[in-house]
Amino acid sequence: MIKYVIQRLFLMLLTLFIITGMCFVLVRMLPPAELPPGDIHTQVIEARREAQGYNKPYLVQFGIFLKNVLTKWDWGVSDKLYMGQEVSAIFASKLPATMIVNLYSILLSIPIGILLGIIAATNKNNFIDHTISTATMVCISVPSFVYAFLIQYFLSYKWGLLPFLVKSGTDYFSPEMFVSMLPVILSLSLGVIASFTRTTRAELTEVLTSDFMLLARTKGLTRTQATMRHGLKNCMVVVLPAIFGNFIGIMSGSFIIEKIFAVPGVGSLYINSINGRDYPMFIMLTVFYTAIGLAASIVVDISYGFVDPRIRIGSKK
Amino acid sequence: MKRYISLLIALCITLCAAGCSRGGVTGNGENYTYNDYVSTMAANWNPHTYETTTDSYPADYLRMGLYSLVFNDEKHFVEGKEPFTSYKVIPEMAASEPIDVTVQIKAEHPEFGIPETAVSGYAYTIDLNPDARWEDGTPINADTYVYSMQRLLDPELLNYRASDYYAGNFSIAGAEAYASQGQTVTLTAEDVMETEGLFDAEEFVSAYGDSAAHINWFASFGEAYSDETHAWAAAENKVADSGMSVREMYDFFMSAAMERGENADTARERFSDEISVQWTYPDNIDYSTVGLYKSGEHQITLVLSKSLAGFGLLYNLTSNWIVNEELYERCLKKDGDAWFSSYNTSADTTLSYGPYKLVSFQKDKSMRFERNTEWYGYTDGKHSFVDPVSGEERPMYQTTAVNTQVVAEAATAKLMFLKGELMTYTLQADDFASYKNSEFAHATPGETVFFLILNGSMEAIQSREASGSFDASKLDLETMTLETFRRAVALTYDKELFASTISPARSGALGLIGSSYLYDPENQLRYRDTEAAKSVLCDFYSVDVSEYESLDEAVASITGYDPETARGFYGEAFDQAVAAGYITDKNGDGISDQTVTIEYCMSADNDFMTRTVDYLNEKMAQVTTGTPFENRIRFVKSAPYGTEWSNKIKAGLSDTVLGGWSGSVLDPFSLTDLYVNPSYQYDALWFDSDSVSLTLNVNVAHAGESEIMRDVTMSLHEWSDALNGEFVTVDNVAYNFGEGMADVATRLQVLAAIEGAVLRTFDYIPMLQDAAVTLLSKQAYYVVDEYNPVLGRGGIAYLCYNYNDTEWAEYVASVGGEIKY
Repeated sequence: MIKYVIQRLFLMLLTLFIITGMCFVLVRMLPPAELPPGDIHTQVIEARREAQGYNKPYLVQFGIFLKNVLTKWDWGVSDKLYMGQEVSAIFASKLPATMIVNLYSILLSIPIGILLGIIAATNKNNFIDHTISTATMVCISVPSFVYAFLIQYFLSYKWGLLPFLVKSGTDYFSPEMFVSMLPVILSLSLGVIASFTRTTRAELTEVLTSDFMLLARTKGLTRTQATMRHGLKNCMVVVLPAIFGNFIGIMSGSFIIEKIFAVPGVGSLYINSINGRDYPMFIMLTVFYTAIGLAASIVVDISYGFVDPRIRIGSKK
Repeated sequence: MKRYISLLIALCITLCAAGCSRGGVTGNGENYTYNDYVSTMAANWNPHTYETTTDSYPADYLRMGLYSLVFNDEKHFVEGKEPFTSYKVIPEMAASEPIDVTVQIKAEHPEFGIPETAVSGYAYTIDLNPDARWEDGTPINADTYVYSMQRLLDPELLNYRASDYYAGNFSIAGAEAYASQGQTVTLTAEDVMETEGLFDAEEFVSAYGDSAAHINWFASFGEAYSDETHAWAAAENKVADSGMSVREMYDFFMSAAMERGENADTARERFSDEISVQWTYPDNIDYSTVGLYKSGEHQITLVLSKSLAGFGLLYNLTSNWIVNEELYERCLKKDGDAWFSSYNTSADTTLSYGPYKLVSFQKDKSMRFERNTEWYGYTDGKHSFVDPVSGEERPMYQTTAVNTQVVAEAATAKLMFLKGELMTYTLQADDFASYKNSEFAHATPGETVFFLILNGSMEAIQSREASGSFDASKLDLETMTLETFRRAVALTYDKELFASTISPARSGALGLIGSSYLYDPENQLRYRDTEAAKSVLCDFYSVDVSEYESLDEAVASITGYDPETARGFYGEAFDQAVAAGYITDKNGDGISDQTVTIEYCMSADNDFMTRTVDYLNEKMAQVTTGTPFENRIRFVKSAPYGTEWSNKIKAGLSDTVLGGWSGSVLDPFSLTDLYVNPSYQYDALWFDSDSVSLTLNVNVAHAGESEIMRDVTMSLHEWSDALNGEFVTVDNVAYNFGEGMADVATRLQVLAAIEGAVLRTFDYIPMLQDAAVTLLSKQAYYVVDEYNPVLGRGGIAYLCYNYNDTEWAEYVASVGGEIKY
């Protein structure tokens, strides 16, 4: 197991290096924003590109980038979106808001989603199941920004229960901030709840018809006891990786939802860095999200072994 | 278990109760908070490096110009004007009006190159306000101004805003040479000769004979000549390396002239105009050569390279360039060979010298300004006005704090406004039915005219057609470059109907210069109301003025929509396009086999873009019915290009867009540069304003002197330069039609002539006159309802309040949290 993990970590670093190198070179190969002939800013812009080293060979630029990151943890300075500011500091300042709203959303979604899935599965094909399944389909099909506007209209405007926007400031764990995040959390959660409900229902429905469930009932367990102790545990082989996947996704913000509720998060950073040709920002985000994605795949793979003892990753037999 | 659940529920209720409490309202009866919103938050408001209007947002609160504009009233009296109908310029960071010292500086400082003939308009001393301070109390003096300008123009820092101080009408002597030192640029032979004092083309060839010659073959010979193959080929309309040295090119020009039957002088003139070389700005230029220096503890001297006087000078000095020396130095950082500055990117890196200071800032989220108690304006007695209703004198800037937050969605902003959480809300198309007659709705005319730019770059179009994915049997792009086709498109749309359909706040536009532009700010006289401007529209839209009782009636009859004439032009365009091989008519049914596809260049895909493209297609289908282009012209949406959209248009890689310029509403004359200067032109790739001659019979006498009428011929570019204060020499006579150099009637004549010439290119089809309608919260009111073209409604300085924050919260609660407008 340890050897397997080490192998995967080594491969992860190699993959990260290759992806970073490719992205670095490809993005810098993009032609700079065209300027009309004679533009008065051309001179300054071209001189800045030269001074910033963008006219050096790509591999030399990549080498300088690696050297700065590895020796000084210097990811560069934003030269378009946040002129003159360290990209790592900008990202670090914006990440908490995204993580916290996503974390709240998942913490809310997991129990509700699994509970609804269990209720639907144990009431298969009756009115309750149909109601939950229909609601699930609606929640999955309707884009989250539709909920967002409905929540704003009813909860914030008509009933005045919640603020329209996330509160300013970095007091992320204050009660005021929590309440201001509720509309975001609700908007993000409906789709996730539906997703968990559907997965749990599908797996549990199958598990409940297994022979061992019959055995559990015959040895005297109630239906609830059998479902909770044996059925749910077995369906977790599928549900748990989905939970891990969602946890890992908390660091990537939702572009639309963050925009609607003015969450000062990272949701729009990536797309803005590409549109704005902010190379240092783009590369730092690329490295970060690639690393997270690769780490996630390892964690999910390893988690199978913990959830289901029959799965032994890296075992020779 | 039940106990835990109960505790959990109790905790949630407590948190909700705490969160819902109105902890934010801290009013003590004296607080007047302006709650504003923006769609994108400023990220860099450094006066030396900011690039967008979004980034300039905090400037109104944090900075003051050397001069500012205030409404006229009993305190700021203007002879012959009713209160609040005009404006007055008051010294702000300056202590008094600038004093013209042109003659003195010309004699004492020949290095600034003030023209021999100039007696005014080039050099000024400005006394500075001794009470001006940074928010931390540090005094601002002449050293601050000089340091800031030196840093702004610093050749190492490569500041984006440096060119603002030498590339336009407000041009500080020596600034360009200092800021650009060591940089290599492409200059025409004529510019090099002028810069280096070379006598003629021969002398230039002696100095630069071995250098690579650059030329725009398209603009000079129409085709490109290859020295290797000795053959002519299709040319691109851009300056490129000719493959020949300057000496070889000179010989080529001379021999070409002989073949053309031109004389040697003409050939040399053409050579000087059309040949460029790579030229490097001289190095080691000292700041002492820049025309902004300290002439007293609280006095600076400003020397300009182009004359500027009166309102134009003062208006340019309503913005400011100063930075706090200590903080600025601390914020500078070198990354590789490039310098970056984090100055004015956060509350910590911002020091104010205006009425408000930045107390908090969260990236992409919010900013809060509070009163800057160090600002002189709260105590100097100048910043007050006489209330037009009560007659009482009131201080300006009643607002005590400004909260600005990002609200990206208009729907959210509307709900927040109706809930009393925002001070204003700009009406969207869907809101007009509900709010257009509201007493709280305020119309604000915009200066921008939005025109449809039509792609005319044959080279780019042919390149796109040559790509593998282009099906030439079904589609065509080339036809749109035909003048007849473009004329037809121009007459296809009713501009007022277009405006009311896609953007009800706006109105239709007929000319390139909007209805807000004032040529005489003092008397609030608009360019669009002048006879010259009206005549241009009649000429362009082929209206016979003699058929109307007056010029006004003739202009009023113009809608820009003439389907019958348009159909005729479509027919002509079809014949020309078939003849040119752009399209085919294989079955001879008189209908084009190809659909002319016009890509609408989108920055982002949204409702406005969809409505625009749908409207263009719908009306095009109506007008082209029965013509060879029936169902054969189609506007299609591009991919969302984001901020690249303008470059796509300029490069001819996309075909049309509603674009516009927002210039200075008080200076319509400077707009001409946007249409003739390749730096700004959307059509620079296919329209060379240097190659279009315009002859005008104008009064060439200096302003205020007896009239001398003369026929003067210049290129469009030269007319624009002359109109904006540059001396342009024609037949050894130097002309300057800048402010204060020529009478206003002559300047208007030139402006109208340039507008007409640009319209006749059909590169720009005027469509929309910008405007916005905004609801103002019941919490506040404007001192004047009528929109003033110079001062608007006075901005934050003149905003008055009906309720303070506490009263407002009570009022909102009393109406159930839903305010009716």
